Amino acid sequence: MNLVFYSGGNDKENQSLDRSFVELLGKKNPVVTFIPSSSYLSEQEFKSFVRHYSKFKIHRFIHFPVDVPFDNILFQEVMRSDAIHMAGGNTFYFLHCLRKAKLLPQLKTFAQKGGLLTGLSAGAIMMTEDIEMAAYPEFDRDENTVNIKNLSALNLVDFLFFPHFRNSSRYDTVFKKYTKESEKILYACPDGAGIVIRNDEIRFIGKCYAFSKGHKFNIN
Amino acid sequence: MNHVKKSHTDEVGKRSYVNFGHLNGEHPFKEKVPGGRVEYKARYRKGGKVAYFNFDLAKDMGLIAKTHAHQLNPDLEKEILETFSLTIINEYDVINNIKFPEEDIYPNTFMATRYLQLQHPDKAGRTSGDGRTIWNGYVRHNGTTWDVSSCGTGGTKLSPACNINKKFYQTGDPSISYGCGLSEMGEGLETLFFSEVLSKNNFKTERILAIIEFEKGISINVRANPNLIRPSHFFGHLKQGNFETLKQVTDYYISRQIENKSWEQLTFKSDKEKYFYLAQQTAKSFAEMSAKFEDEYIFCWLDWDGDNILMDGGIIDYGSIRQFGLFHAEYRYDDVQRFSTTILEQKQKARYMVQCFIQIADFLTTKKKKSLSHFKKHPIMLTFDKHFIESKNRNLLNKIGFKKNHVDHLLKYHLPKVTKFRRVFSYFERSKSKRGMYKVPDGITRDAIFCMRDIMRELPQLYLAKGTILSHSDFIEIIKSSYAKKSDLKLTEIRKKQIHRFQSTYMSFLNAIEKDHHSSRAQQLLELTMRSSIINKYDRVTGDSITFIVEKVMKHRPKLNSDELYDLATQFANYQNLNPDQKTGSTKLPERHKNIMQNFYSIVRECREGI
Repeated sequence: MNLVFYSGGNDKENQSLDRSFVELLGKKNPVVTFIPSSSYLSEQEFKSFVRHYSKFKIHRFIHFPVDVPFDNILFQEVMRSDAIHMAGGNTFYFLHCLRKAKLLPQLKTFAQKGGLLTGLSAGAIMMTEDIEMAAYPEFDRDENTVNIKNLSALNLVDFLFFPHFRNSSRYDTVFKKYTKESEKILYACPDGAGIVIRNDEIRFIGKCYAFSKGHKFNIN
Repeated sequence: MNHVKKSHTDEVGKRSYVNFGHLNGEHPFKEKVPGGRVEYKARYRKGGKVAYFNFDLAKDMGLIAKTHAHQLNPDLEKEILETFSLTIINEYDVINNIKFPEEDIYPNTFMATRYLQLQHPDKAGRTSGDGRTIWNGYVRHNGTTWDVSSCGTGGTKLSPACNINKKFYQTGDPSISYGCGLSEMGEGLETLFFSEVLSKNNFKTERILAIIEFEKGISINVRANPNLIRPSHFFGHLKQGNFETLKQVTDYYISRQIENKSWEQLTFKSDKEKYFYLAQQTAKSFAEMSAKFEDEYIFCWLDWDGDNILMDGGIIDYGSIRQFGLFHAEYRYDDVQRFSTTILEQKQKARYMVQCFIQIADFLTTKKKKSLSHFKKHPIMLTFDKHFIESKNRNLLNKIGFKKNHVDHLLKYHLPKVTKFRRVFSYFERSKSKRGMYKVPDGITRDAIFCMRDIMRELPQLYLAKGTILSHSDFIEIIKSSYAKKSDLKLTEIRKKQIHRFQSTYMSFLNAIEKDHHSSRAQQLLELTMRSSIINKYDRVTGDSITFIVEKVMKHRPKLNSDELYDLATQFANYQNLNPDQKTGSTKLPERHKNIMQNFYSIVRECREGI
């Protein structure tokens, strides 16, 4: 499986992750699909996305909002894309829409069949088992505006992912507490950092942190 | 307590919002066109609350400072209420000797203007005009003079009810609705939400400056525009053959256009040149307006009285305005006694009005009123026709997503291709459901079956991804609307040919630009993908969606203050901004408002193909 987890940040901060993304694509003239977390003003986000990745000689893009109905013709092309990028936003709303559009199994199959799946913030959390991290910690969480109870997501990896991490005792305290009772490792990445998975091999880009069994570890 | 401002200079230095003082009833039209207005004394109306204030517009008009926070403060609220919360003292009040406290009476009079309205029995504009509106005055800022008028300020003698029933009514008389001189909060909100969206999308339109709310959903809706004169302001005097007043209105209107530098030509060697220039400008504006209405599916009940439109083609009176999601070209509004025009008949009505302006120019030049038919083949009519087609072509290329320089290039060097594409585009756009005509709650319609926005949005990305054109069935799968039934979508030989023509002409544009501008097909398709996703956004507002959104706002209203309503209306207009050259930023909204906005999006989505 080929996955890229972006935490957030600007173009400059994400240079290394972008290089890995392009390497993983490994193909001339690829097609990249952009899935916004919400269609609201997503056209502007798409424009920025295209402008940014055009610098890497990527010129074929599909804009695919999932909270509006779509036709099968465009959907087929999305599934034929070389990469699908899931954008940031409200994780609960995003999951709600992906589930409503019955896209979770399709995206899972896409990734399992070797398609490159990438996500930023909410989009990255979506690749984990569930989106519980979006509701955590209390002082930095998404609102569950759609009031969904089933938080299970794509479940492509066996770790938890926390984006926009700030290296502070405030976060440390809550994450240590959280992982004390969890079997899973939590990788927390500040903006500009992230995780690349290539053929099931994990690589950390930038300064990342791991929380496990109530302890914090520095990575890189 | 004295609520009334005596003069705008009274408290200069003491007041924080001095420019509101200009909106005191004084207006040059009063003096320059004495036969074109009726004047009324007015009194302060108690019990009003500011439900909405348009900070953005007020800044453009110089009513508040550019740096003013988007928040009402007690001084500003007081100023708005003292300026706009008024009711005229009408004929009924005078005849019945109704007394009002002296301190509540404004020192100046306010005018209601006379204009032609087809619902008046007179049919010549002798009795018609602003039936429940007065003009508050004008303000000049940064080289633009703005007119401000308020709807719901009391019944005038120019209302249809007065003239049909031959009696004067007390303002608020419950025995009549439209003629009672009041307006409702819902009307104000509908105008607000619709006009802000259309204004963002470069439509010329009146805009809501403020809404003052009273008990029982009654309101005063304050509107502003750089020139609130309508064709009907001319047509009444033209019909009556009243040379003097017609000349006064025309001269007044032209002087404002010159003052605002709204025209390219600002000096004239003779009256003849000036009046025919006006006709020429009207031809251009109306051709552009009717083409844009057709292409953006705007239903505006244009008719021979020129009552529902401003002189520059701007929209006024949102009561009958709709935007369709598809080209429902046979929809007619049922106005009890008669049906409205259809969207396609608007062009003929606009053309008729241009003909009237040629008649006016000739009348004012020769002092002889010739019959309208005399001007049927006047060269200015050809200007209208030519400009209409040019506008249609330009609108279509813009809709595809081409940048301005590419649009200009295609129009200049590849016109036959553009014409060919416009024809095939129309073929799909105007395809109708086999269901035929049927009744809807407010009229009759026949459904369009194809959604042109969907195909325009998806085509460039699919070409880019697939590297090939679409099959006939894929094309139909994308373009079909929810109104289309299986029987509507048959792939006949003619339809197959049209699908082929549509795609091959689209491609020929790309080839032309590739050859002439050295911009590769892939580059162009990428650019079109981005631009078209904004221009042809999935969710676009329709008349029905505005109605439902206003219902939602009314439900939330008791808890929404004016600043919150301003934020919501602004946010909504930003979301509906379909200009790819404008960056639209979202503002941070409180959680409660996010839910309301989410509701708005769902409504727009649900109604996106309707009327």
